[in-house]
Amino acid sequence: MKNDLITLDNVSRFYGEVLGVNRVTLSLPPGITSLVGPNGAGKTTLMNLMTGLIRPTRGRIRVLGLSPTQSHRLFGLVGYATQFDAFPKGLSGFQFIYSFLRLFGHSNAECKRLANETIEQVGLSDAAWRKVAGYSKGMRQRIRLAQALAHDPRVLILDEPLNGLDPLIRAETINLFRRYATEGRHVLVSSHVLHEVDMISDQVVLMSGGYVVAEGQIQDVRSEIQERPVKILIHCKQPSMLASKAFEQDHIVEAQLITEGSGVLIKTRDPDRFYRLLNHLALNGIDIEGVTPADDNVNSVYDYLIGGEEKVSP
Amino acid sequence: MMKLWCGQIVSVVRLEMKKTFFSKRGLWVYLLAFAPVVLYMVHSVYATRQRQHLAQLAAEHPISRAALNGIKTGLSCDQVVAKLGEPYWQRTRTHRRGNEKRSYVFYKYTDGKRDDTYHFENDKLTWIQRRGRDTLPKSQLIFATSFQFYFLRLAVFFGCVGIFVNLFRGEMLDKSLHFYMLTPMRREVLLAGKYLAGLLATTVIFTSSTALQWWAMLWQFERGVIVDFLAGPGWTQFGAYLSVTALACVGYGSIFLAVGLLFRNPIIPTAVVLLWESANPFLPPLLKKTSMIYYLQSLCPVTAPPDKNMPPLINLLISPTEPATTVTALTCIVLLTLLVLVLASRLARRLEINYSTD
Repeated sequence: MKNDLITLDNVSRFYGEVLGVNRVTLSLPPGITSLVGPNGAGKTTLMNLMTGLIRPTRGRIRVLGLSPTQSHRLFGLVGYATQFDAFPKGLSGFQFIYSFLRLFGHSNAECKRLANETIEQVGLSDAAWRKVAGYSKGMRQRIRLAQALAHDPRVLILDEPLNGLDPLIRAETINLFRRYATEGRHVLVSSHVLHEVDMISDQVVLMSGGYVVAEGQIQDVRSEIQERPVKILIHCKQPSMLASKAFEQDHIVEAQLITEGSGVLIKTRDPDRFYRLLNHLALNGIDIEGVTPADDNVNSVYDYLIGGEEKVSP
Repeated sequence: MMKLWCGQIVSVVRLEMKKTFFSKRGLWVYLLAFAPVVLYMVHSVYATRQRQHLAQLAAEHPISRAALNGIKTGLSCDQVVAKLGEPYWQRTRTHRRGNEKRSYVFYKYTDGKRDDTYHFENDKLTWIQRRGRDTLPKSQLIFATSFQFYFLRLAVFFGCVGIFVNLFRGEMLDKSLHFYMLTPMRREVLLAGKYLAGLLATTVIFTSSTALQWWAMLWQFERGVIVDFLAGPGWTQFGAYLSVTALACVGYGSIFLAVGLLFRNPIIPTAVVLLWESANPFLPPLLKKTSMIYYLQSLCPVTAPPDKNMPPLINLLISPTEPATTVTALTCIVLLTLLVLVLASRLARRLEINYSTD
């Protein structure tokens, strides 16, 4: 059971005097985990540490029980698509995947089969024999993803994997991640496009300035921030009445009428009491059409945690 | 496990082949390697045509070797013409310095095997230049000199710099080295694969060049001379030159593979190694033995003659040392190579992918 985890124990990495990541302690179970943070937050450093491309200045890392320094054992289990947009020169997409699969010790026929299957999986079959140097940004992103997937790893580590993908391929790629996660594998994804990871993640790791500022399921992370009022958007036919009733409660901080779509945005310090109030109002004649948590997403949580500007996503 | 490692090494060699043999960045390595072939070829063509030309002239105006040898300085133009007849080529020049006027006349005669040029100043023979046909021993000495002083010290040396340094450093600059690091392959195996790829490329390029130089050097001689030479020491010498070339690639390759791993800018360490290797003749005997070129030269079948035009002061600084025996030279080259490769593998094991700082 323990070997199913990716664990980082008090891991720090400095580049000279520059902080990469500091005192990161994490224990990641299988599923889709998103590393979220702005540029320079330490996401790529953390991924490079997990895959042994760089070594920690201090701390201990284990991926399924293996140290990243044991690369000859680790990379049988781990696939990593980096953000480096460079490839060995002169290779076609197929040759690229095939050549590196050979280093895994597979037979020639097995490498060809795996290369073809993976290239098809990322939707590049038509361009398989074109030189990678001639690929578009999205195609290069996909061939990097294919390289990480090709040997069927138990842990997929993907640095900004959705960058440059068109919506169709993006949806297919997200489905692929979900399938991997349901098979009990790790899919560790970094992104700064927050709404993407909000939709696909089982858990998030929020990073800022080299530190992990929060981790866990998005809702759990949100509920940890008790001092921040929760925003709830209610669509109803009598928003003014709802607003006035809400203001009678001491836990309501703010009620803002939304003209577009007829609703009211409530800020409350006690969402449980507010939901009970809503039930009571609904039973007493206010026609409530919909209730949506307005800041229960990664973006809002992230902004709260690192002190950025508050945003509402009604 | 060994089977897996061998398979991985073969795969790395395959991946590296294209880069080491056909990269545009490495075009100058071919120029370095094959420039002497072109020079030998041009010389052979010229020498052959010259020989045919002289033979034709000698047939038209036969002159005996004794008659040529009978010409001494101090004779006048007319006296020379009286003894040998009209020259096959002549030129006259006049120089005026103030009121003094000097005339220079040049005559050329040949007996078909030797080409003599007579320099007359004011109708008096002052200097005789005798140019014999190339002989095989003379060509062997020229080959030995160019092989040891140009080919090993510069062409193979810089060729190995160009190919081996780029095996790791080039990929760090291209930001593509990490693909190897993301496979279940020991860093030592990666190093071995890259070293073998570089070795294969340099050995093929430079031993081909050595073989072609050898062939181009022999090409001007008659078939009989070549057959006699090859039946004697020829093939042994040929094999020795090929082996020394390959050993130079083995030794210098390991050094520059380590340089590529250790240094971001390989120019300074390369300059230091070059200086050390070039300073070899001037080093005391013990230090001489710490340079690759000492052992390589010891294995060369023909000793390169010292430069006749070397200033006496520099000649004094050269410390003569007995060449190493074949066994010692081979052992030392192999040991030095292994030592450097072990150090390089330790560097590879600690190598981090941190392109932003490379």
